[in-house]
Amino acid sequence: MIEHPRLFRASEKREPRRPRLFHLGSFLRMNEKTRFMLALITPAALVLMLFQVVPILTGANASFRDWTLHDPKRTWVGLANYIHVLRDAEFLAIVLPNTFGFMIATVSLSLFFGLMIALMLNKRFRGRWLVQSFVLLPLMVAPVIAAIMIRWMFNDQFGVVNAALEGLGIAPISWLTQRWTTFLVILLTDVWLWTPWFALILLAGLQSLPTEPFEAARIDAASTWRTFRYITLPMLRPVMVVCVVIRSIDAFRTFDIVWTISGGGPARATEMFSLYAYVESFQFLNLARGSAAAVIGAIIIVIFALLLYRILNRFVEVSR
Amino acid sequence: MPELRSFIRLCAATAIGLALSTGPFSAQAQERELKVGYMKNPIQDASLDIMEKWAKTHGVKLTRVPMAYSVFMEKVTATLTSGTDQFDVIWHNDDWGQLWKKWLDTTDDVRGIENADQWPLLAFWNDDKKLTVVPMAHTVGTFFYRADLVRPEEVPTTFAQLVSVSQRLQKEGKVKWGYVGGMGMNNTWFSLWWTMWANNCDILKPLFERNNDKLVAAKFEPAVTEPCHREIVEFWWDAINTHKISPPGMTTYGRNEANAIFMAGEAAFTLVDSTHFGEFNDPKRSKIVGKIGMAPFPVGPRAQKPTSWNEIWGWAIPKGAPAERKQLAKEMLSAMMSDEAGQIEMWKKTGGPPPNVKLWPKLAAEDKDFAALKHAVFDQTPITHSAYYFAEWPAVHKAYSDMAIAALSGKREDIPKVLAEHVDKIHRAATGN
Repeated sequence: MIEHPRLFRASEKREPRRPRLFHLGSFLRMNEKTRFMLALITPAALVLMLFQVVPILTGANASFRDWTLHDPKRTWVGLANYIHVLRDAEFLAIVLPNTFGFMIATVSLSLFFGLMIALMLNKRFRGRWLVQSFVLLPLMVAPVIAAIMIRWMFNDQFGVVNAALEGLGIAPISWLTQRWTTFLVILLTDVWLWTPWFALILLAGLQSLPTEPFEAARIDAASTWRTFRYITLPMLRPVMVVCVVIRSIDAFRTFDIVWTISGGGPARATEMFSLYAYVESFQFLNLARGSAAAVIGAIIIVIFALLLYRILNRFVEVSR
Repeated sequence: MPELRSFIRLCAATAIGLALSTGPFSAQAQERELKVGYMKNPIQDASLDIMEKWAKTHGVKLTRVPMAYSVFMEKVTATLTSGTDQFDVIWHNDDWGQLWKKWLDTTDDVRGIENADQWPLLAFWNDDKKLTVVPMAHTVGTFFYRADLVRPEEVPTTFAQLVSVSQRLQKEGKVKWGYVGGMGMNNTWFSLWWTMWANNCDILKPLFERNNDKLVAAKFEPAVTEPCHREIVEFWWDAINTHKISPPGMTTYGRNEANAIFMAGEAAFTLVDSTHFGEFNDPKRSKIVGKIGMAPFPVGPRAQKPTSWNEIWGWAIPKGAPAERKQLAKEMLSAMMSDEAGQIEMWKKTGGPPPNVKLWPKLAAEDKDFAALKHAVFDQTPITHSAYYFAEWPAVHKAYSDMAIAALSGKREDIPKVLAEHVDKIHRAATGN
């Protein structure tokens, strides 16, 4: 017989309870399974608390204070650092456009190429495992290593890219001296690094699709394009939405490859949000201003991610 | 539930293991140890080798903690201000001499410090007029040339000659480029700044002033729109785009990229710290071993005689280190300053001039390379120091670098406009606004 919890009637009077942060009795009364789950979660929660939550709160606290790296006075200055960042022409005219431009370009290109590769790998052909392993190689390379490699590949004196261009009779290019060529190199690096990630997830999505709609399309003699356009793509959209949202957030905070390839240069022409926060904190040594920039960036990306998720989710709903 | 009990046992075993490995039972905890935070560089390693000799004979374990140059100052500043005892000795540099002055122990009582050159110590005095550094080696900008291509009497002494000799060598097919040097952020000395000082110019007004009170009185007014400064930006624009004596990508080069071109034998001239002399003569890395000469800086149209810069790399002791380790560190640094044979060996192995200047005449008499360096640098009178010594200097450097690279990446006729646009940014960087 199952015992139901006792229900209180509204007329019954109850003793007011004193709120407690941790109730040992209730912890001990938990069933063993719950305690086991809590024990499993505790190390991860502690790590998260120590290395994510506490630094974020410390940074947020610093953003309201006079806190230089070399002489942290820690006096309260209110919103002064936020106002400075929001009035900084470099932040508004260079950093934000660069960040969003990069995010849109890298996510679109990686999604496109990732989808192409996933479609290719979804077909059976000889040596597929070899192609699959080869395609996934960039995922195994640390972004900083990839960026150092790319910087030398695009070096105007020793780079293989210019050597190849010269072989084709094209004059060598100083890739990293101008804004848009530098931006292109950074973008190519990021797309190269992230396309396999899209390919892997989209391939898993493709392989989990039901076969019936495809069989029906084949019976109806639908062309490959129409099958892709009206069956594969709509059914794959939920996976694509998740990929796009996760990757957009990640692209917004890109630091390593930009720092290694261009350092945000020439001058500050390819500086992005994370670099801006880094430069303020560790080159201008103003930790407070860097923290304010980071908080502003966090607010921007949270709003952007929510909007993006909503828009894409509606798109998925409509397509259903 | 057996899983829970096993899990708890595992956690307890791990905790006990960790406690044993780091606690009083650890054998390592009994050993005397000094941790040194430094940049991986042949000179710093050679200086550490001198200290290692002392450490071995005194039962001290010397632990080297290398860090990348690009993050060194930021990382160590954060460590110093947090008050942790992560390092007992750290690499110190004049660029951030004033930045760390209140976080470092004084070093006036280190034996042998009286044999150091006084000029480069300006950056390292704290507010109580006490020293916070022990010199490791002098870092002097040195004009290197290919002695196999250029005879000593042909070595350029002016900017104009630098262009003409470079073009001649390029035309003769002897080199691909005339001059190559670092120019990107943190490498500004090796192109823009040496020419700036060699053209009687500077970054802030009053020119060549390094007294912070006087700079404050002058409200940190930038001198970058002065004709003497505009001329050097135009000089580099022409060197890259008009005369083509320097690679088009030079605005992005760090010292490693510039050195790679010079060591590949593709450039006739470079200017970099003398501390790279050893690298240039390393047969594993360089194609120009034994073919390198040193000469005084060529001068610009506004200067009459060559200038130079003469600063030091040093070691410092964080205040946050425990007292007994600070004392131990001072003993080790005293041993380094007193080890004449070790310092001479460091010069021979790496090209790092010894911190004990009393060794210099003897070294110049017996070593032709040191004699050449002495003539090229130490015998010339520095017009000023190669950095400013106020806390916001790194920010000024960054703002200056952004300005110069923006000017060199645009059209020549826009240079005055770009320089004018950045005056306020440099001023704000200097005043912390």
